[in-house]
Amino acid sequence: MEKQTIQFELNGQPHKLEIEPDTPMLWVLRDALNMTGTKFGCGVGLCGACTVHLDGVALRSCSLPVSAVEGKKITTIEGISDNGDHPLQRAWVAENVPQCGYCQSGQIMSAAALLANNAAPKDQDIDKAMSGNICRCGTYPRIRKAIKRAAAEVSTWEPKAEGAES
Amino acid sequence: MSLSRREFIRNLSVTGGGLSLGFTLSAIAADNSSTVAADLSPNAFLRISPAGEIVMQIHKAEMGQGVVTGIITLIAEELEVDPTTVRYEMAPVDKAFSDPEYYFQVTGGSSSIRTYHRILRQAGASARLMLIKAASQQSGLPVEQLYAENAEVLSRDGAVRLPYSDLVSLASALPVPEEPALKTPDQYRLIGQQNQRLDNQPKVDGTATFGIDAPVPDALVAVVVRCPAQKGKLTGADREAARAQPGVVNVVDIDSGIAIIASNYWRARKAAEVLNIQWQPADPALQSSADIDTAMIAAFEKDDFTSDRSEGKAPEGEGLMTIEAEYNVPFLAHAAMEPLNTTVVPTNSGAEVWVGTQSPDLARSAAATALGIDEKLITVHNCFLGGGFGRRAMPDNVFEAAQIAAAIGRPVKLVWSREDDTRHDTYRPAVKARLLARLDNNGQVLSWEYRVAGPSVMQHNVMEMHGSLIPGWVPDPLVNIMGRIAGSSGPLALEGARDLPYRFKHIEVGYSNVETPVRLGAWRSVGHSYNGFFVESFIDELAQASGLDPVAFRRQWLPQDSKNRLVLDKVVEMSNWGSPAPGHYQGIAVHESFKSPVAEVVEISIDQGKIKLEKVYCAIDCGQAVNPDIVKAQMESGIIFGLTAALKGEITIKEGAVEQSNFHDYPMLRMNEIPDIEVVIMDSEASPTGVGEPGTPPVAAALGNAIFAATGQRLRQLPFKLEPNA
Repeated sequence: MEKQTIQFELNGQPHKLEIEPDTPMLWVLRDALNMTGTKFGCGVGLCGACTVHLDGVALRSCSLPVSAVEGKKITTIEGISDNGDHPLQRAWVAENVPQCGYCQSGQIMSAAALLANNAAPKDQDIDKAMSGNICRCGTYPRIRKAIKRAAAEVSTWEPKAEGAES
Repeated sequence: MSLSRREFIRNLSVTGGGLSLGFTLSAIAADNSSTVAADLSPNAFLRISPAGEIVMQIHKAEMGQGVVTGIITLIAEELEVDPTTVRYEMAPVDKAFSDPEYYFQVTGGSSSIRTYHRILRQAGASARLMLIKAASQQSGLPVEQLYAENAEVLSRDGAVRLPYSDLVSLASALPVPEEPALKTPDQYRLIGQQNQRLDNQPKVDGTATFGIDAPVPDALVAVVVRCPAQKGKLTGADREAARAQPGVVNVVDIDSGIAIIASNYWRARKAAEVLNIQWQPADPALQSSADIDTAMIAAFEKDDFTSDRSEGKAPEGEGLMTIEAEYNVPFLAHAAMEPLNTTVVPTNSGAEVWVGTQSPDLARSAAATALGIDEKLITVHNCFLGGGFGRRAMPDNVFEAAQIAAAIGRPVKLVWSREDDTRHDTYRPAVKARLLARLDNNGQVLSWEYRVAGPSVMQHNVMEMHGSLIPGWVPDPLVNIMGRIAGSSGPLALEGARDLPYRFKHIEVGYSNVETPVRLGAWRSVGHSYNGFFVESFIDELAQASGLDPVAFRRQWLPQDSKNRLVLDKVVEMSNWGSPAPGHYQGIAVHESFKSPVAEVVEISIDQGKIKLEKVYCAIDCGQAVNPDIVKAQMESGIIFGLTAALKGEITIKEGAVEQSNFHDYPMLRMNEIPDIEVVIMDSEASPTGVGEPGTPPVAAALGNAIFAATGQRLRQLPFKLEPNA
């Protein structure tokens, strides 16, 4: 497969890459850009560990070819806040959500997309938005609590990073 | 064992390097402490730099169970420092870190805090006393007038106030105190109170380094294509086609399959699709789940069981009621979220290995064997583990990566796919139990006969450790014999059954090893994972047969003041046992594992013929909870892990290969399926006991017992499948 030039915005910064266009965004991030916060879990969109935002929408980056992000905006866990202090990140810390921690980047990205559209999610809304993300450590009860804790703050929180969203 | 602590804590400081203490609890020390003292290398556990920075080496794997927080809490308590100021790093391989119960450097058996709590506190206390002594020398005040607080030594009159950084140089030249007094519970400011995990931030901002994130940016990426069948033999492959794919750097054969090495994971994975391997199964015997089940049935017919516990005499007499049941559990995969991986960097002087492992010294041995170099030339960088659950105790991924690195002579990162991870796991064995009890007319249990047949985890572990724990020169046939001997005994297979807490008059417990080619390993709570289910389900059957409520029956047969009885009473109280909400049904179970008794009540409803998990109540006695919120988190985790197995988990074998591959056919419980969970930790000042695993064993039985209460269906096989029209 021939490499192509692909341009997109990543966490507010313009990027230009020469790469095979079928390469999933997950491996662009991890292997080409050494941005390892986004995790590989299943490779087929079943577990949510690789969740990123494409123009604000939560998507599984393992199944998102880099050709599909041409001219679009990608946000990863590294771009969701300047100092790791997004209300969801603070809520995750306060509720002691992480155990092994491996799935949590993806969980937070799914939760951030939820709260961007719904400042007061009900349990059913959380179920719907979060059931694509597996946590083998079983941190689900705490994720639920942390989303509710963060919900009130998200609407007024201003990310400092240019281009960071939600 | 009467050993002076001084033999275990050593001052390892070197001039100008700050204060360094090393300590060991190695089993070798119990026999010959002088050997260990001499062996104790400069791998200090605890270091205070001349600038006052405190660094803890974490010699246990952090796989989510919270061991980083636990270790630092214990040290910081006695050292009188803020735990959030303690920097931590994962320890290298060192003999001093050998676990005194397992004889190698391993994290497992819910043992880290139970085994190490005391010596960690002693090390913290020793360092504190040395700093106080140094302050005494510096200030001229007697030590009695000095105390430590928040990384400073102060005098009671307020005249002296010295930060630790001013004292480390002087302290580092002092001897380790003989008998440092440890705090009494009324003096604790962290133990029992430190709830905030100390490894949260990197796990929410994406900076935590798991094995798969090894900071070796120039590493090539390898994938391995293996025979689908366990121990199958490759007979052909289109290596040239794979080599011709874009991005592919090399294709090499290794022991376990064919490695494709490429510029990135995606190119390696794409190239693997054209490799088109041909293979043959190696072992014609027991190549399917059905065959293995047949072999287990045959084991019962042969009636060749160990007698791991035999008490009392079989009852005689007319008119006894006999209750018999057969229970079954399937093979299970671990399905840790981070697929296995390892990065190996060959260097001029040896190699660097980056991996998240529960067994760093097995990892080092595996790498040394594959690279053909002395293991002393290999540095293992242990990382965060993206889940362990027992899977990351086995270093097969390290061996593969090191073989690839040896073949290409360049830094390489091996990454397994989810499919690799599901199909080449070390599985929790499928097990069959046949249970028999006799009751008299008054519902008194006169006998309990418990037999388990299934493959042996111990046997497989022995055989897989050949070359690491068992020297490589030991010939294969001898290793096989050792494996058989290990496999024929019941300890792991019967854990949680041999130690039945109910005081029946006649108890027989036995095991029969059924050999299969399926790889096995420890799976969160190991033997307890099924014995908890068998015992506590059958106990419910006996309660039913004797006409008693499940709680009343358990109270009748559990010793009055036993810990099992106390956690049972607690969960009865928490759950409002016997009076669930309308449409809700309860089941109960109590099971001790890793020295912690846990009682659980599962409350369910049946919604359109499907089981809906409403609520789980859990009471645990884990001695003194060091970090109570982590104990609660581990109970939640163990419960969801056990519920996932009870409702969904099943690995099946066909033609020698695992049939499942990814989360669509080996599913996990998800957010929309989980119950509310309420946990109570029993008040205790006793020594800490296990928490990583004990939440899992009772929950399948409690759920099965709730299903019986709701539907009258006694389900004896996992995963549970309700019969229609429930």
